[in-house]
Amino acid sequence: MDSQWPRYEVFEQERPDQPHRNTGSVHAPDAELALQNARDVFVRRPECCSLWVVPESQIYSWTAESLQADPGWEAETIMLMLAPAPFEIFKKQSQRQSETYVTHVGQVSARTPVEALRQALAQFGTGEAYVWWVVPGRAILRSQPGDAQSFFGPARDKPYRSPNFYRVFTQMREAASSDPAGGGPQGGAA
Amino acid sequence: MTQPALSAQLLALADDELILGHRDSEWTGHAPILEEDIAFANIAQDEIGHASLWYGLLRDLDGHDPDRLVFFREPAEYRNVQMVELPRGDWAFSMLRQYLFDAAEAQRLPLLAADGYRPLAETAAKILTEEIYHLRHTQAWIERLAQGTQESHRRVQAALDLLWPYALQLFQPLPGEAKLAPRQIVPEAGVVRQAWLQAVVPFLSGVGLAVPEPAEPAAASREAHTPHLADLLADMQSVARLEGPEVRW
Repeated sequence: MDSQWPRYEVFEQERPDQPHRNTGSVHAPDAELALQNARDVFVRRPECCSLWVVPESQIYSWTAESLQADPGWEAETIMLMLAPAPFEIFKKQSQRQSETYVTHVGQVSARTPVEALRQALAQFGTGEAYVWWVVPGRAILRSQPGDAQSFFGPARDKPYRSPNFYRVFTQMREAASSDPAGGGPQGGAA
Repeated sequence: MTQPALSAQLLALADDELILGHRDSEWTGHAPILEEDIAFANIAQDEIGHASLWYGLLRDLDGHDPDRLVFFREPAEYRNVQMVELPRGDWAFSMLRQYLFDAAEAQRLPLLAADGYRPLAETAAKILTEEIYHLRHTQAWIERLAQGTQESHRRVQAALDLLWPYALQLFQPLPGEAKLAPRQIVPEAGVVRQAWLQAVVPFLSGVGLAVPEPAEPAAASREAHTPHLADLLADMQSVARLEGPEVRW
């Protein structure tokens, strides 16, 4: 039996004028704890003003290759009775190592994920697209403006230090080389 | 003369945060899931950071060096409540202890932030933002443990039965407090206790836990400690107290 909690994809917005972009994932028993885990794992130090979490099962995903092969248009007919609802559209627009984020590009109103994809291709299809993610708006738990101070405020006035700030490795090496017994860290200098 | 009374308040605030933060940190690497390991390590670090702020105010007030206070005091000189020195127990125990403490902070800090000694008020306001997040996190966990499985409910109820009288010690007046309260430097302990009860009793009952009857606090004075504090300090202070020619900083 799989005892792992469900996976939630995390979208982080660094500044109000920037889009939400996928920053990683967390496991959580439900959306509220996923949102909290996302805060603790991804935004304790860096700048952030809004977080979204989405259960991985609610993400409809297409790659450039799968779109060419068969986007699954025929499956659309099954759910066409539904009333239109908002879908959020995300797109991976670059393969460059520093920019491989799946980024929010906008919203469409559709009755099925495939219909949402069709609209997304029409509205946001210009430029490169390596991956498309289509997410029903109701599947997203979003941090609220009222959460911002306790969620994101504390990180702002804390210094963010990389591990090498503490120079532990260098100091241990110096300690080992100046030890008259000639020992390394295991050599009794502790 | 209010300064000794104010020092006593700051030392109590600082020692509670330090010892709780240390106990929380014992979960680092041992929490039930990676994400929660990170979350609870964050909380532990926040609490130790808060302790550092309070010790800093104390140094400004009476010149005590925070490092000496933390690493070279004997157990009997610590002024934390007994609740925070108890061993970490199981996950339900640690979460509930953190919740009961956070809920007290959520009541005490806004009153301190509104009160008459400016450095204390400013520090309280700063700490409060983080405590609001801690409270949201621990409330979410208590709700899920209480309403999860029979086993999780049994464990969190057992933790509540054990911790209740310990939590009440948080609201015992400190020496000299009567001098500070009329000048609005600290809130009256009875007022904080009442506000805390009005917040935690409905929440705990609401998630299906049986709230224990009113009880005497586990200890009347913060000068009394369990043997667990000595064990904790022996560990925490061991590196700072190393002596001999081989010790270099």
